[in-house]
Amino acid sequence: MSTSTLPDRPSAAGDASSRFFRPRGRRPHRGRGGSGKSGGRRDRRDRRDRKSTALTVAMALMLGYTLLPLVWLMFGVTKSNEGLLSSRGLWFADDFNLFDNIHDVFTYEDGIYLRWFANNLLYSVVGAGGAAMIATLGGYALAKFEFAGRRLMFALVLGAISIPGTALAVPTYLLFSDVGIVNTPWAVILPSLASPFGLYLMRVYAADAVPDAMLEAARMDGAGELRIFFTISLRLLAPGFVTVLLFALVATWNNYFLPLIVLNDPNWFPLTVGLNRWNGQANGGSVAGSTAIYPILLTGSLLAIVPLIVAFLFLQRFWQSGLSAGGVKQ
Amino acid sequence: MNAKSSIAGRLGSRRSTSMTAAVTVAALALSLAACGSDSKSDDDKGGKQADPSAVAGALDQPAEITFWSWVPNIDRTVALFEKKYPKVHVKLVNVGQSKDEYTKLQAALKAGSGAPDVAQIEYYALPQFAITKQLVNLADFGAASLRDKFASSAWSQVNVAGGIYGVPQDTGPMAMFYRKDVLDKLGATPPKTWAEVAELGKKIKAADPANFVTYLDPGDAGQANSLIWQQGGKPYQVSGESSAAVKLKDDPGAAKWAATWGPMLADKTVESTPSWNEEWWKSMGAGKYALWLAGAWAPAVMQKNLPQGAGQWAVAPMPTGDGAPGSAENGGSSVAVTKQAKNKAASVAFATWLNSDPEAVKSLNSDVGLFPATRLLLDDPTFRGADLPYFPGTKPNEVFAQMSGAVRPEWQYLPFQVYANSIFKDTIGQVYKPGGDLPGALSTWQERITTFGKEQGFTMK
Repeated sequence: MSTSTLPDRPSAAGDASSRFFRPRGRRPHRGRGGSGKSGGRRDRRDRRDRKSTALTVAMALMLGYTLLPLVWLMFGVTKSNEGLLSSRGLWFADDFNLFDNIHDVFTYEDGIYLRWFANNLLYSVVGAGGAAMIATLGGYALAKFEFAGRRLMFALVLGAISIPGTALAVPTYLLFSDVGIVNTPWAVILPSLASPFGLYLMRVYAADAVPDAMLEAARMDGAGELRIFFTISLRLLAPGFVTVLLFALVATWNNYFLPLIVLNDPNWFPLTVGLNRWNGQANGGSVAGSTAIYPILLTGSLLAIVPLIVAFLFLQRFWQSGLSAGGVKQ
Repeated sequence: MNAKSSIAGRLGSRRSTSMTAAVTVAALALSLAACGSDSKSDDDKGGKQADPSAVAGALDQPAEITFWSWVPNIDRTVALFEKKYPKVHVKLVNVGQSKDEYTKLQAALKAGSGAPDVAQIEYYALPQFAITKQLVNLADFGAASLRDKFASSAWSQVNVAGGIYGVPQDTGPMAMFYRKDVLDKLGATPPKTWAEVAELGKKIKAADPANFVTYLDPGDAGQANSLIWQQGGKPYQVSGESSAAVKLKDDPGAAKWAATWGPMLADKTVESTPSWNEEWWKSMGAGKYALWLAGAWAPAVMQKNLPQGAGQWAVAPMPTGDGAPGSAENGGSSVAVTKQAKNKAASVAFATWLNSDPEAVKSLNSDVGLFPATRLLLDDPTFRGADLPYFPGTKPNEVFAQMSGAVRPEWQYLPFQVYANSIFKDTIGQVYKPGGDLPGALSTWQERITTFGKEQGFTMK
């Protein structure tokens, strides 16, 4: 590549990142390089400024759109039932009830919320962790090993992506009922372990992230395939693994329809099904002993998304690529 | 059951995205497919086991009954039962409200195991389970003798295709709730006819364009069905086990419904809005709607979510075309015994006791807050004359009981009403706006329901 024909294309990765972090329109062009080059940069900057204004506005709109319900929820959890139904949605009510609400969430119906929470953790950790591991193993195998039926298998996986899980829920129930694991955690965990999209992602990722030359070198040195996978490939695949893990975590954490069908015992419900039950109750109600559970419902919903936020914050630091850069000569 | 179920139904219909619709289709397809293969053996079984005399003594033998119900506080009534029949243990499980429960029930019944012995089923969903032979025909256990114990509007709803498939638990005869303060300010009296409702709407509009006479919920098929019913409509007809008809397009009641609400939508005197959410409750509290047309279960919900409205609201009979009394059911549910019940006699006896024993029905009304289906209360002067502090100085139960008697007969739901309701939002819901073509949307709704029925193997007339 040459800077004269493609002036705005960075020649190195470092350049690329500094480009993103540079404050917009502030950098004086007199600083570096010759006049011809800086003039080119200015052109580029102007062009990019125009483009980014529209994009920034679009992104701000999108951000507002996605955050608004969350902000509403944040205000909602501080209110009592009466306050909720008489105050503005996006501001506080006269009373501040957050701590009472949290207390109520954990004690309502003998504290079943904690049970649901623990169930969710179980389903997500085992289900998503297993799904990510299986997808990584499978994707790696499909990308790096030649064997009969490889293309067919991959085509089947691709096809499987297009079938929504919801459509499979009822047949799954019938199958599980025959095996006798309906109404047990296995009925939720087993289907979560299969992640066709994860497998597809890992195959594509493994094809590039693990250099064949590195595998060959390892084999030459006498390492077995399992050892190669766990000591070399898995580390190179870590960003892909984490991506699949996060996707699977979100999918299993928010899984609604499958547990709704296969679980009949409220003690095994995940949060989605349990909160939906409360949602119905909040709108129902009866004269005697009625509990105004809108606040409990809102607080329960907010607490339910905390683990996902934590998972994202914690796991995104693994989202780095280029671990093998320079490892082999290409 | 009233408050809970009808609300859950509303939520359900509002949730009816294409996904839930697809799910409903999937679950339903499964149930209907079961029809042909299972019916023979089940009939045999039913014939052998049906023994009315066994029911009487069943509760004196040890038994365990699993009962699916989502009604809050119904455990209190169940506790009374266990106290009276200590040998019978009832395992009460709340697997979810309304549609959630039906989804599970459908799957478990199809799979052949995992279903409860006894289940709460709303009237509108009962035909779906009954016609696919998944429920015990209670007539085989002598349930026909219960007939006189229940309001005819309730009893007719548990009669499906010549069988009795549930014991009525609660009802929701429609009445008109109105804001006294709003009407007083306008110098208006509670409307008795639909024409007066329209007049009142114009008055309200003239005083403040932000207020409305009432609202229509574009996601609430139950509301529209009840209002069509209340105008004398009979758009859904079921004959036998595999034949049904949808006549929304040509039904006189549906035509009256369209002629009543179309002009009000055009005048913007009726608002089209989703209901049963926090925003809607705020509007209800602020007096945005002068009238609320709802089932007799409404007071229980109002006391909870509109506590400041005590004394503001009053109850009157439903408006009609000619001013003569006429009502419809809105919500309500029954208790059914499934084909998988291990001890059918005890299950039937439990369902019967729960909904017809004097002690039980009083508990359902006062402890649980259900509006009764039983004449024991509906005809009881003490019940009818009871004071509700929320409506000081009036006798709301008297109005509700009258409305219960005035429910127009012969209404039927389809064996795939759950699906029909789920596409309401995409058809009628789309024209709940000024100038919306209600008759056209009735046709569209009818066509889509009919197509679905054919796909499910029904003869659609």
